[in-house]
Amino acid sequence: MKDGTAPVTLRVAGREHAITSAPGRRLSEVLREELGLRSVKIGCDAGDCGACTILVDGVQHCACLMPVAQAAGAEIETLETLDDPLVAQLKASFLDHGAAQCGICTPGVMMAAVELLRETPAPSEAQVHEALGGVLCRCTGYRKIIEAICALDTPAVETRPEAGQAVGAPVRRVDGRAKVDGTEVYGADHVPLGTLLVRAVRSPHFHADFELGDVSTWGARRDVIVLTARDVPGENRFGTIPGLEDQPAIAEARVRYLGEPVALVVGAPDVVEPLDLGTFPVEWHPLGHSLTEAEGAADDAPQLHDHRPGNTLIRGRVISGRPEEALAGSRHVARGRFETSYVEHAYIEPEAGIAWLDDDTLVIQACTQAPVLDRDETAKVLGLPKDKVRIIPAASGGGFGAKLDLSVQPLIGLATLATGQPCRMVWSRSESMLASTKRHPGTMEAEIGCGADGRITGMTFHGDFNTGAYASWGPTVAMRVPVHASGPYRTANFRATARAVHSNGPSSGAFRGFGVPQAAIAQESLYDDLARAAGIDRLAFRRLNALRDGDRTTCGQELHGVGLGACLDALAEHWHRATHEAAEFNAGATGALRRGIGIASCWYGCGNTGLPNPSTIRIGITPAGQVMLHQGATDIGQGANTVITQIAADAAGLPLDALTLVGPDTALTPDCGKTSASRQTYVTGKAAEAAGRALRAEIMRRTNLPDCDAIEPVEGGLRVRHGAQVQDVALSGTQTDELGYAIRVEETYDPPTTALDADGQGTPYAVYGYGAQIAEVEVDLDLGTTRVLHMIAAHDVGRAINPQLCVGQIEGGIAQGLGLALMEEFLPGRTENLHDYLIPTIGDMPKVTSILIETPDPEGPMGAKGLGEHVLIPTAPAILNAIRDATGVAALNKVPVLPHRLRAAIRGHA
Amino acid sequence: MRYERPATIEDVTALLASGGEKSFVLAGGTDLLVRMKNDAFEADLIVDIKAIEGMSDVTRTADGFEIGAAVPCAALGENAELSRVWPGVVEAANLIGSTQIQGRCTISGNLCNASPAADSVPAMVAAGALARIAGPDGRRTVPVQDIPQGPGKTSLRKGEFIEAIVLPDPGPRSGDAYLRFIPRTEMDIAVVGVGVQLTLAEDGSIASARVALGAVGPKVIEATEAAETIIGTRLDQPALDALAAVCSEVSTPIADKRGTVDFRKQVVGVLAARAAKIAYQRAGED
Repeated sequence: MKDGTAPVTLRVAGREHAITSAPGRRLSEVLREELGLRSVKIGCDAGDCGACTILVDGVQHCACLMPVAQAAGAEIETLETLDDPLVAQLKASFLDHGAAQCGICTPGVMMAAVELLRETPAPSEAQVHEALGGVLCRCTGYRKIIEAICALDTPAVETRPEAGQAVGAPVRRVDGRAKVDGTEVYGADHVPLGTLLVRAVRSPHFHADFELGDVSTWGARRDVIVLTARDVPGENRFGTIPGLEDQPAIAEARVRYLGEPVALVVGAPDVVEPLDLGTFPVEWHPLGHSLTEAEGAADDAPQLHDHRPGNTLIRGRVISGRPEEALAGSRHVARGRFETSYVEHAYIEPEAGIAWLDDDTLVIQACTQAPVLDRDETAKVLGLPKDKVRIIPAASGGGFGAKLDLSVQPLIGLATLATGQPCRMVWSRSESMLASTKRHPGTMEAEIGCGADGRITGMTFHGDFNTGAYASWGPTVAMRVPVHASGPYRTANFRATARAVHSNGPSSGAFRGFGVPQAAIAQESLYDDLARAAGIDRLAFRRLNALRDGDRTTCGQELHGVGLGACLDALAEHWHRATHEAAEFNAGATGALRRGIGIASCWYGCGNTGLPNPSTIRIGITPAGQVMLHQGATDIGQGANTVITQIAADAAGLPLDALTLVGPDTALTPDCGKTSASRQTYVTGKAAEAAGRALRAEIMRRTNLPDCDAIEPVEGGLRVRHGAQVQDVALSGTQTDELGYAIRVEETYDPPTTALDADGQGTPYAVYGYGAQIAEVEVDLDLGTTRVLHMIAAHDVGRAINPQLCVGQIEGGIAQGLGLALMEEFLPGRTENLHDYLIPTIGDMPKVTSILIETPDPEGPMGAKGLGEHVLIPTAPAILNAIRDATGVAALNKVPVLPHRLRAAIRGHA
Repeated sequence: MRYERPATIEDVTALLASGGEKSFVLAGGTDLLVRMKNDAFEADLIVDIKAIEGMSDVTRTADGFEIGAAVPCAALGENAELSRVWPGVVEAANLIGSTQIQGRCTISGNLCNASPAADSVPAMVAAGALARIAGPDGRRTVPVQDIPQGPGKTSLRKGEFIEAIVLPDPGPRSGDAYLRFIPRTEMDIAVVGVGVQLTLAEDGSIASARVALGAVGPKVIEATEAAETIIGTRLDQPALDALAAVCSEVSTPIADKRGTVDFRKQVVGVLAARAAKIAYQRAGED
């Protein structure tokens, strides 16, 4: 027994558990680590996120704020210990309404809901707001959670589509059960006995040289192993884009950002957890540092990487026509300078994972969006052949782009190789916010012109983006932004340039939209200027200039299946209603409140920009007739597991529930690329469609039927139906391949794109998605606060493979777009927690009306386009334009529009 | 770390008197546990006061209310009588953190945390609340505004702790209100907070008033001059404008990521006027 521990008896759901613990230990930790109640999630350890919400004597509490001694004698309930009809009903309702996306916040949300529902069986929306105000969700935008709780009594619509009818049906998430049961295994949840704990010693400086002292003596005295850069057996550089790998797994002699790891400490959890890392022997020599794109680009800025003069990581550009001449000859010209901030992904699951050795293979189970990249980069850093590293993605408690970079993988891999023991790492909230990537801050200047008729004549754009200490996905932003900067509008004369600049801020990487949401703020704000100048209604102005079928983009690509016009047309009636209502409200307003409405559009190319990004899907059928879908696309809550299964099932002619999912797992699933660039539904979906068709052909070859309506697994084989004809295909006893399958197909799809030339001309993407959103807001002129009342979102998804998942993406994207517009500003060194860095709560979320437009894409699977990133692009500019409509203030050129910024602008305007 | 859960107030003061520099009183733990994690320090001694009889009670006395130091803020809202008499104090207490935090945090803890942005403190100051302190040398009672001495610092002496907050009865025709400003809907630290308490004369004019301003100085400001601008008035527009102007004037905020100096000075005036209107209306209904 360790010093200071004492016996404590905890009563959980009526059962007593006698344990020994330090009395001041957090109840959340005790419930998870001692009692194995892992539905209790740890998101912040500060009462800010509510992921660890449990019931204590029937009342919701954050288990992270309760010392275990104070829980003695109380009745504790966690999601996995609740077994009553109300909870069963709630779980079913969460599944039916799609209220769990990544699922990490779901147990806490449900516990808060249980407290409410026990007292109030049919709560109002306001009561749900009140009860859930302390639980953060980053995926859903809360709307589906509210629906699931309020509509508990409404019986679910049965959605078990017939064979061939899965696509287009709002089928339940195929992997949803574990999320609502609280049994899903996230990065921190798999902990075999004897697992060692790894912690990182991190830099307290933004930029510094350092010398390590006698680390082995320090470690030996504390009974821990210390690992440093010298212990990294392979090439100590990782990255995301070939040729630009620049980030050491453990820093060597110099750190370039606050929180960069300089050593690992490995040992028994009860030793490592309380260790004071402040005594670690390291001498720091701080260097000058830069934190913004302007500071990083300054002539006298400290240089981060020797081979990147001027701190310039990369430049990108797209040029077509004669933009300067066109602007000079324009009837109206609008110009402006816009700034955006670092934005934190703030998924509720901080990075976590475990590594172990399986014979001579290093197995890593951690949260990720890119298993194959993790495998390749980890193998390189650790000096292992790729086939000696196996990545099993843990369920991801949110990703939104940041889990496309390596995090714990090389660190726990190194610790496991060094010790031979399973090793895990669980980042604290502040570590996660220090060391994970961010949305690029941008400083953008743009100029757009139009004729007297309102038609766009030309546009110029330049954006400097702060890419932080290491390259990460900076190059992608520098390319995507110029390609998309025109917005989804006809722009014959165009020049857009972008530069990614290093600073000592956190590395900027991938975050839902890769810079396009920032650029859309500039373009859509200037469109409002032009519409006003030309005296044209703001929606009509966008409709006039909207891209249409057969138009060419600024890259010279001819487009087909463009549904933007249909989106804007679908919004027209809402626009007129909202215009009228806002005018009426303002006419009667005597106090400080004014209403306004705004509109903005989006487009977004699905898949990598002009680079190959293939996906491969394998389907095998066992002799017993079991159909196995090897699906390697990581589902981070968006629904890839479900959508890919729907497409494969329909293409094959099998009923949805005949397919059993395998993977993702680099040992079991072929490469489906990264869950990025809104590519999984399109690219992996297309591979799934091809694999489904190939499977159907293989099966049909074993019959003499001319065609088939449906295939179903039966005992020992398959049954094929064609009209009244039925034939069985016997598989039992047939020869199997090396994977044990009687029939196996594997199909690969890679989008038909071309590399862009020096002027950005070419075919960067094979499929684009489109959308437009209206924001209705209410501004308090005296306080500078903005309340978003209603968002109306029309998105062209080509074909809604799963309408419920589509709406889930829209609502979640709007929540993040609202945060970008109004409250989210990550300040390095000052906001590494969830009470100084604010994300929207349930009370901030407006009503959302989602409209799905289906203009089929000729290339997408069954006409489908991507959606995940598109959804947040128009939100911020629509809100900004609505604030301007309410206040008359045109100078909203910095996001977030914090109240003090809006007040200053209102004062300046007056 | 030593963890004690004494049964009497005397034991608490004795433990605190004998403890080292890092000795802390634990009630809800919503500040202490977070600080221990963030600042990565180990406490020498934690004295849990939740087991002490009466410490978790709200007591109606002949001339007011006594709120034990371990009473969670949520319990204040559940007390109908307290909510009727001191709605502003209760609202302030129920703005701290989230629902889960309110189930644990206490107004005594909020006071002793000595944050200038503490939500319940301006409301308590406006209410004329008193802190009853127990210590090795017995008990003493002081106005709540005497406890915080600046961010993180209190006037409590070695061995002392607050055993209860005393809210006096405000008398007839009284009302109070608390408003705070945060950039999102809930769960945030006050950028500005204003508590107002006032009592009307029989003719409906304001006979007495107290105004307290939070997060616009190193500690909560009791703005006597601001209160004077509305005494004798019926809270007409000139009175409200004067109130707002004086509140802005006496504020000495800092600029940080949550707001500039100018913004905080302006907002404190807007909120003071809005809070005064609510308190005035409540007093009229009383």
